[in-house]
Amino acid sequence: MAKYTIKRLLYMIPVLFGVAFLVFTILSLTPGDPGTIILGITAKPEDIAALNAEFGYDQPFLIRFFNYIGDIIFHFDLGTSYQSRQPVIEDIIARFPNTLKLTIFSMSLSAILGISLGILSAVRQYSKLDHICVVTALIFASIPGFWLGLMLLLIFALKLRVLPSYGAGTLRHFILPTLTVSMTSAAGLLRLTRSAMLETVRQEYIRTAKAKGASEKRVIWKHALRNALLPVITTLGTSFGASLGGAIIAETVFAMPGMGTLITTAIRQKDIPVVMGSTLFLATLFSLIILIVDLLYAFIDPRIKAKYQSGGKSRG
Amino acid sequence: MEKKEAVLEVKDLSVIYKSDLETVYAVNHISFSIEKGETLGLVGETGAGKTTTALGIMRLLPQRTARFTSGEILLEGVDLKNLSEKEMLKIRGEKVSMIFQDPMTALNPVLTVGDQIGEAIFLHNENNLSKKEIDQKVEEMMEMVGIPKERKNEYPYQFSGGMRQRVVIAMALVCNPEVLIADEPTTALDVTIQAQILSMICDLQRQYQTSVIMITHDLGVVAETCDKVAIMYAGEIVEYGTLAQIFTGEAHHPYTTGLFGSIPSLTQNTRRLHPIEGLMPDPTNLPKGCKFAPRCEKCMEICRQEAPQVSINDGHQIRCHLYMKKEA
Amino acid sequence: MVKKKTRKHAQLAEIWRRYRKNKTAVVGLVILMFILFIVIFADLIVPYSKCIEQVGAERLQPPSLQHFFGTDEYGRDLFARVIHGARYSLFIGVATSLMALVIGAILGASAGYFGGIVDNVICRIMDVFMCVPPILLSLAVVAALGSNLRNLIIAITISCIPGNVRLIRSVVLTVAEQDYVEAAKSYGTNNARIIFRYVLPNAVGPIIVNTTMAISDMILSAAGLSFIGMGIQPPSPEWGALLSSAQTFIFSSPYLLIFPGIFIVLTSLSFNLVGDGLTDALDPKLKD
Repeated sequence: MAKYTIKRLLYMIPVLFGVAFLVFTILSLTPGDPGTIILGITAKPEDIAALNAEFGYDQPFLIRFFNYIGDIIFHFDLGTSYQSRQPVIEDIIARFPNTLKLTIFSMSLSAILGISLGILSAVRQYSKLDHICVVTALIFASIPGFWLGLMLLLIFALKLRVLPSYGAGTLRHFILPTLTVSMTSAAGLLRLTRSAMLETVRQEYIRTAKAKGASEKRVIWKHALRNALLPVITTLGTSFGASLGGAIIAETVFAMPGMGTLITTAIRQKDIPVVMGSTLFLATLFSLIILIVDLLYAFIDPRIKAKYQSGGKSRG
Repeated sequence: MEKKEAVLEVKDLSVIYKSDLETVYAVNHISFSIEKGETLGLVGETGAGKTTTALGIMRLLPQRTARFTSGEILLEGVDLKNLSEKEMLKIRGEKVSMIFQDPMTALNPVLTVGDQIGEAIFLHNENNLSKKEIDQKVEEMMEMVGIPKERKNEYPYQFSGGMRQRVVIAMALVCNPEVLIADEPTTALDVTIQAQILSMICDLQRQYQTSVIMITHDLGVVAETCDKVAIMYAGEIVEYGTLAQIFTGEAHHPYTTGLFGSIPSLTQNTRRLHPIEGLMPDPTNLPKGCKFAPRCEKCMEICRQEAPQVSINDGHQIRCHLYMKKEA
Repeated sequence: MVKKKTRKHAQLAEIWRRYRKNKTAVVGLVILMFILFIVIFADLIVPYSKCIEQVGAERLQPPSLQHFFGTDEYGRDLFARVIHGARYSLFIGVATSLMALVIGAILGASAGYFGGIVDNVICRIMDVFMCVPPILLSLAVVAALGSNLRNLIIAITISCIPGNVRLIRSVVLTVAEQDYVEAAKSYGTNNARIIFRYVLPNAVGPIIVNTTMAISDMILSAAGLSFIGMGIQPPSPEWGALLSSAQTFIFSSPYLLIFPGIFIVLTSLSFNLVGDGLTDALDPKLKD
């Protein structure tokens, strides 16, 4: 297991490097140089050149990239905002906690709702409850998160006035955004859990367990569930990414100061260092989550776990 | 030979699978019985209704589609068909257990083999064995089926097909059931392993006096293991008798003759095999006369019109018009 | 040849028979037909001029017989804008899914079929793409290229390529392992023929289902990006953009938010329902 973990950790290095290169390359396609963006086209050419030199923009592309990476690794410096001239990392530190909270709340809610209802739905296949779950999940999977947010806002904050409509001061502020973000991914998880569970109960080993005299309940909880949850766990990483994406949009709806509003504002102001720094920061976080999910998966599935414990050998 | 009492008696059993589109007549009015320690071979092609019969006895047929339409399944005089699901839990694994065809998929991949064997004991733990005692019994059972007991904490994927089948057998026999249903237990295995597994099943059977229903399409397996044989075709038992009656007797159902004609013989110098022409009839639309008539070399006019009755000669049953005529 | 045709025909008839049995799937198909009708005959339902015609005296009118869905802050007829907006959503959804499918199919099929170094390189690159949450990838592209229809399509397509590559690679791998492919290889059928004749036809089911569902996702992503101002810009009547400008009037004129939203949900839902129905219809073994 340690061997597998180390192997996966080492693999993260080139992947993260690749992610940085990808993001840097895409954002370097932005037309215009920092001098012109900050000072405007009417500014004196020498002022623009001086500013460009300050941002290191006079260097060729690859040198700029390696300087950027070097600054991140050695100085924990994600660049300087064109607008505020402050280090990007400060903006991130100020905004990130809200986004993280929202993402974690939403992930938890959607996992609890999606997985438990998915199991219930599969166990009672063809029942009324199953039918309702499946149709409701399909409907929620078709509702854009932001529109759900707007409707919740309309009902609970503006008409009923029971919950705050914007900001991020208290936990109450997180209720509506959490619902907004989690419904879509709960719907996805429900569908996935249900189909994984149905697939599992069709397996022969389930029949073997029944032939031993195991009750329906025992067959489901002891034999089917663990096997069914394996594919669900592999997608938890992706659904974290989806929740993060949902959070970014929900922040706009609920005017919540988070990474989403930081990035969209920066895009409007052409503040490329902020966009780049924030994107890289979130992508790194996301990669780590995927890594953790993979390790968790390996820990639960004996086939993978043992493969790495015994150095890849398995007895025939 | 004195007449022993039958452990399991199936009388006039019929099973259909009904979907909104079609009805599959999988098992049609079959009867057979097994005495203590005896082995009955259930022989037939794929789709003849062998597995349906087995799952029917276990009451493990798919609930939504399968129905019993007639008959009784008497285990020590009690009709399993009438038992509730809760009562069946006590039967499965303890009184009747089953070995499945494919050992590669019959074991739960995320539980250790020891756990899976132990579960059978745990589920029918009438003597209130402690965890340690169950563990000990698992180890004994593993040794008995030829698996080193040290391997009990390993997972199924670490075992080969033959070893997995041993695990499945250990699981099926650990509660010392009255009846063991072995559904093609060796079909998925290598030939050399097949012999080992078969002889092991026979040894254990003798030791525990278990009655076995051996489902197979391999007449060689039947010759080696069975006392009685039932030949199935299109959901019916077309011939039923002792091993000697089926293998050496004079009168046979044409289908049985066909089956024997389809296997190469080492003793006789046959040039070529005589496979049975044609395919099994569509089980949703069975012929109205004899089910085998469309493929039968000796088919007569009456065979297409009327389903034959069983003729019995010294316990040897044949369902064919050829022999009914003789009696008349 | 004739025989082959009838067999194909019978197969399609069988799929349709299974599909028809699923009531929710039929509902999805009906909604989809309805949306397609709107897209094709938008100009006959209500002329495009109504979308841009600003009537100063009729600003922010609630729904009425003159204006079924009311009017916006410039006095434009919301019904006309929603009807014509359908073209954007559907076009974006279909275009991005198909582009992502083609690129994904080429990369995924080569990775799965050739294996070795090709597989390795493609997979490693996709690993990198997979580490950036889709919306961030889209935002980065929009940030660099600017926000308009073309860039929105590029942004969304890129973000869903990695998933497609993975899916098609795994489908191809499963099919390539089947005995009939081995058999075809053993009697010397060439690669291209194996891919087109054996591998792809057998991979079609999951790919059709995935693409149908992807259209729904793409429509939602496009609307989301437009909503936060990173996609199609007002005054285009794209549904996300409509909602973006209507946000200000959430309290005074909520109908501005409700109608475009319902249309997004209906369109997306229709694709999801159809995709779901196709899953069962194309793969009967999944149903007991």
